[in-house]
Amino acid sequence: MKTFEGYRRANGSIGVRNHVIVINTAGELAGLTKKMAQLVPGVIPVAHQAGKAQYPEDLEQTIRTLRGTAGHPNVSAALFLGMGEGDPAEEIVSALKKDGHHVHAITFQKGQSISVVLNEGKLWLEKAMERSRNEQKETADITELTIGLECGGSDAWSGITANPAIGVCSDAVVRDGGTSILAETTEAIGAEHILANRAVNPGVGEKFLKIVKDYEMRIRDTGEDIRSANPTPGNMAGGLTTLEEKSLGCIKKGGNSPLMEVVAYAQKPAEKGFIFMDTPGYDVESVAGLAAGGAQIVLFSTGKGSPTGSPIVPVIKIGTNPKLYEIMSEHIDVNAGKIIDGLNTIEEIGEEIYRKVMEAANGAPTAAEKHNNQEFAIWRLAETI
Amino acid sequence: MEYSFEGFIREDGTVGIRNHIGIICSVVCSSVVAKEISDKVPGTVPFVHGNGCAQLGDDFKLTKNMLVGISSNPNLHSALLVGLGCETNQISGLLESIPDTKPVKGIGIQQMAGGENTIKKGVEIAEQWAREAAGQERQRMPLSSLTVGILTADLDEDSLFKMAPVIGEAVDRLVHNEANVIVGLSKTLEPAGGLLSERSAREEVKNRLRVMGEGLQRKRWKEISTEAPAYQGFSEKERSQAVLEAEITGTSPIKSLLGYSEIPAERGVYLITVPGNIVEALSNMASSGCNIVMIVSSRGVLTGSAALPCMTITPKNQDDYFDELVDFRVGEGEVSDQAEAVIADLLEICSGKQTSLEKLELGEFSIPHIGTTF
Repeated sequence: MKTFEGYRRANGSIGVRNHVIVINTAGELAGLTKKMAQLVPGVIPVAHQAGKAQYPEDLEQTIRTLRGTAGHPNVSAALFLGMGEGDPAEEIVSALKKDGHHVHAITFQKGQSISVVLNEGKLWLEKAMERSRNEQKETADITELTIGLECGGSDAWSGITANPAIGVCSDAVVRDGGTSILAETTEAIGAEHILANRAVNPGVGEKFLKIVKDYEMRIRDTGEDIRSANPTPGNMAGGLTTLEEKSLGCIKKGGNSPLMEVVAYAQKPAEKGFIFMDTPGYDVESVAGLAAGGAQIVLFSTGKGSPTGSPIVPVIKIGTNPKLYEIMSEHIDVNAGKIIDGLNTIEEIGEEIYRKVMEAANGAPTAAEKHNNQEFAIWRLAETI
Repeated sequence: MEYSFEGFIREDGTVGIRNHIGIICSVVCSSVVAKEISDKVPGTVPFVHGNGCAQLGDDFKLTKNMLVGISSNPNLHSALLVGLGCETNQISGLLESIPDTKPVKGIGIQQMAGGENTIKKGVEIAEQWAREAAGQERQRMPLSSLTVGILTADLDEDSLFKMAPVIGEAVDRLVHNEANVIVGLSKTLEPAGGLLSERSAREEVKNRLRVMGEGLQRKRWKEISTEAPAYQGFSEKERSQAVLEAEITGTSPIKSLLGYSEIPAERGVYLITVPGNIVEALSNMASSGCNIVMIVSSRGVLTGSAALPCMTITPKNQDDYFDELVDFRVGEGEVSDQAEAVIADLLEICSGKQTSLEKLELGEFSIPHIGTTF
């Protein structure tokens, strides 16, 4: 049985990082969120513009994402900044506290002094940092690990090298009792029948086909054709010709395991094993959803070279071709281009990825972490009101 | 009285009141690199956002146009566009669309073979521009070269009652002196659409304002396919407060209702569509060419714009506002005297005096969505 050393949380989950974060619920506070984080070294700001002036379905998704981010096992402590009456910060915090998370909310009220509020936040964060430094690691089992699967800046090699190798790793994690979440509904379009056939029961298969169909309908209803934005200019320069081709390559990341469950964006799976999450193909938004849904580590294949990471989870980059590794090795953790050069088989690279997962789980920083790539964005469903 | 201020003249004759070097990411994937370049070079301002890829149609156009608008804003001495390479929002497309009025360059992470090289190159370019910008001197400029935005935020009836006449008078004086004024058509102002429509000479603008005044709400995607009607009227209170808020637009004819990133074609008073998100509203005003925004609020807001000084105006003798944020307090005196004082303070800020939000270094940038990402 594979094991790793992680941080046990009060709710029983296990983190592979021990971050202290500041997170806002209103876009107006994004600047203060970054300012607050700067006051205490090591604190990570998770600033965004969601939360206000949104339609109900977006607001619901935003709150689910913020709650999942702050309550993530990789997060030791989270400070919420909210704005005025009716702000969801207090409510999110009290729900997280019930679950044993170390969280606190500061809600700005009219007439408050900003410097006083900043100081209050600073003191809480300093204590939270000290608390996190004293938290001890303990041995955890691979069955407690969830990985997310993502691709960004794909090229024609993605579906031949990196994605099948990720599939090997995903199957191995699932075989060992862990959980693997494939994402990006956009890139299931045209390949949905393959995944649906792997559903553990007809209900899961139907649910999967429904989210893909809803996705395509949603796009068509706005009068647009998904195929005009996907493949992107970069994908095409990389040799991809159609969305179906991109999709067939994309789903290779999910290996061959049975599909156990289909979850909404930022929703935590109830099952273990191979899962699908309804996310957009937009990498940063998709990774934020995977993380908020509980993935402790994300595997991310790239053909063109995408440096993006996450504020809370280690993102492991798998390069699809040797040229990319040659010119952008600073952003790549695993070179699947070796498959093209005949140096390794898909299986061997899959094993190398699995080793990287265990190393990252034990605390080794990934390329994205070394470069402080902490991009964050929440999937938007509708316009800003 | 002859009004003037000291600003920076650009190659096309437009005038900036700040001399920022903008470091602008084309897509969220290059936001960290853009931010790092900006962190390393004093005088630069990062414009980072979550958009730029996996977008379609009008939603994508809005993102592109806003970045073109921000790059073109006269408060920017120069603009460095930082891209990834494979994104929908290509740097080459942005460069083609940005008018040739100032130094503009684009670099991409994939083209530069990695973030480290990109940061190095970006810093090199930005440092060169920072030296040039530091050597540029402010010149005396007439009011007619200024575009002033007005954004209301969290206004109660009492505050409106005190402030609207003063702001309205200031707007009239600015317009009389040929400044451009762009007033945010907020959700709270929409119920006054009927009243505002009477001040426009253009039939199309009249109609749009009238429809807005009736309370037509925009639909969400769930309703698009079902054709469900989404009308929702306004309450009496909403209407009466909107009429009060309409006073801040002054009494001049309303030239037009500007869309996202639309630049006024002639001088006068304009309305502009603004989302309820303050950062997105300010960003939209900046991309439509505003030099400065007056934020009229009963409390003050906790964010400004990365591109624009934001002058916060609240009522005097109100004890529940954020004191450290306020630049001007409207009191009990004569409306004309107070309007004069507002303009005097505005012009000082235009000439370089820092606003409270600038002192606190609170300035953000963000682009609204009008559709889902894919």
